[in-house]
Amino acid sequence: MSVLNISCKKATYLVSKKEQGKINIFDRIALKVHFKICDLCKRFEEQTVFIVKNAKHQETEEKLSEEVKTRIVEKIVEL
Amino acid sequence: MSGYLLKADDWVNKYGDMLYNYTLQRVSDKGVAEDIVQDTFLSAWRNRENYKAEASEKNWLFAICKNKIIDHYRKKSSSIIQYAEIDSTNNFFDEAEHWTQEAGPKNWGIDQDSTLERKEFYNILELCKQKLQEMQKSVFVMKYLEDLEAPEICKVLNISSSNYWVIIHRAKLQLRKCIEQNWLSI
Repeated sequence: MSVLNISCKKATYLVSKKEQGKINIFDRIALKVHFKICDLCKRFEEQTVFIVKNAKHQETEEKLSEEVKTRIVEKIVEL
Repeated sequence: MSGYLLKADDWVNKYGDMLYNYTLQRVSDKGVAEDIVQDTFLSAWRNRENYKAEASEKNWLFAICKNKIIDHYRKKSSSIIQYAEIDSTNNFFDEAEHWTQEAGPKNWGIDQDSTLERKEFYNILELCKQKLQEMQKSVFVMKYLEDLEAPEICKVLNISSSNYWVIIHRAKLQLRKCIEQNWLSI
């Protein structure tokens, strides 16, 4: 039982390994057991998965200034 | 000559803002992003003879841009002194390595169907990403925005595999915490 008894610190680290598919079977079981007694770590997993799933979303719409555009065109033509 | 000028002007107008937004999301600094976009166009122009119509022009430019961004992180990593980065996530856990009362994840209650809430979430995520320590930011961007695999990230940033896992994990701990602190509805 003691190998399956992991701390929250360890559990969150295993969550990060799991998310990238780099968790072994022992750690996977230990994490499952931990989740049964720890809602906080379960929540940590849900939230961090949500974060990385949304990491690519682009909200801002910035524009290159006309000066920079002109500068780039000039540099291209100089080549 | 005027043909060149028109073509160059056409390129920059058509793809400039797109590449700029893509880059800005990955490097945060406007000046750096402008330079990377410029380098992308210059490289593309120099190699335009090699461009094969198999890929769309847009995808081809984005592939070049992506490489420029990775180059940027490669160069930057050599100037980051990793050991100077303090583990700011250490106080998230108590002596028994359980969550402290303060740091334990709270219920966010994000309504995923609410456009307004999502928009706010994205803005906070962006803000918190910028607040990460340099190495954490580099690793996070390469993994979750550039989709590079761990071994490649280690090579580019010149870090060990165990270092990678510690850094990416701390980045997530830190990001999650920062989002929670900035999320108004909690």
